[in-house]
Amino acid sequence: MQRASLRSLLTCLAAACAVVGCGAPLPADQTAKAPPATGSSAPKTAAERGFTGVFLPTGTLEEPAGFAQWPNTPWPKSPPFTPAGAAESQRLNDHGNFTACAPGGPVFHMWEVGLFPIQLLEAPGQLVIQREASGLVRRIYLDGRAHPPDDEIVATWNGHSVGTWDGDVLVVDTVGTNGRARAANGVGSNAKPSSLDSDPRFPVSDALHLVERFRLVANNELLEDEMTIEDPKYYTEKVVLKHYFQRRPDIDMLEYFCGDNPRRD
Amino acid sequence: MRAPLHLPLVLAVLATTSTALAHHSFAVFDRTKKVTLTGTVKDFQWTNPHTWIQVVIADDKGNATEWGVECGSPNMMARTGWKKTSLKAGDRVTAVVNPLLDGRPNGSLVTITLADGTVLGPGDAPPPKPLGAQ
Repeated sequence: MQRASLRSLLTCLAAACAVVGCGAPLPADQTAKAPPATGSSAPKTAAERGFTGVFLPTGTLEEPAGFAQWPNTPWPKSPPFTPAGAAESQRLNDHGNFTACAPGGPVFHMWEVGLFPIQLLEAPGQLVIQREASGLVRRIYLDGRAHPPDDEIVATWNGHSVGTWDGDVLVVDTVGTNGRARAANGVGSNAKPSSLDSDPRFPVSDALHLVERFRLVANNELLEDEMTIEDPKYYTEKVVLKHYFQRRPDIDMLEYFCGDNPRRD
Repeated sequence: MRAPLHLPLVLAVLATTSTALAHHSFAVFDRTKKVTLTGTVKDFQWTNPHTWIQVVIADDKGNATEWGVECGSPNMMARTGWKKTSLKAGDRVTAVVNPLLDGRPNGSLVTITLADGTVLGPGDAPPPKPLGAQ
């Protein structure tokens, strides 16, 4: 008897709610502004744009240009060094520049011939570039943030990177490097080891401002990285280079640690 | 199109990236010279930044010399046919190396013939693919 009465009451309440509504009403403007979670108007992710996956730098030590249709830009034979830049380049020529397994920094990181692959991974609000030969990643924030103020930025090997989309081009702006990374030359910069040539080394200082324009070309098989290197401490003018990476889904990333077996022979 | 890497040069350049060789340049190896070593594996160090094979060579007079043979890194070697079990102590091998200029028994690997006849290189870049092939 009691159970039947309760059922009747619930039935009546349900009917009343159907007429007048029992939930907390949403403000009209809130429902109007709610963006679609999915659909053609949703911003594309880096993955949807094809910017994730494993890529192998193009070019070899003997053929650094890589694919003829999409050649890597050679480094200038006469870089526009400042006196400080020329001195640092000469120091590296005299003493080598691969000491102590130092990380590469963003320029060297993206200027490797086809020995070690890179992998682009996406997380909410960021794109991460892992280079197999380096334990450090490049983390590119895509959430609209700006660089920290100069007096707050923590100088690191790879610096602080923020990215924005310009159509199908990802524009990445990097500052805040520590100026101690390996200088591009030898491996990755189409020059030879310093013991074999007199080609200049290309150091970058802690004043580096790197702007990169990434786009997919060659039917999305190649990732193009157009690098504009601005470093007033070491260069009197901007240096612009292009480097290409071939999509290689057949390659799995492995591990590499430079200082594992420090033999002296 | 990409041409195969110049293996000794690659090795040599990579050598300059290592802690081990950070204090002397790759010019320590004579890339114009190849020495063939036939002997017995004493140790195979499957380590970064480079793997090493210790090979004991006996001459006609019965004198034994231990050579250190430097190869690529395990990740590159794994992509070009090597396994951590490719060599073990006691294996008879024939290795072709670019020797040190200073005469010490040490070299960078060019090729090695394993006990089962398998021929491997020093460990190199992943095999190239032409554009549009995948």
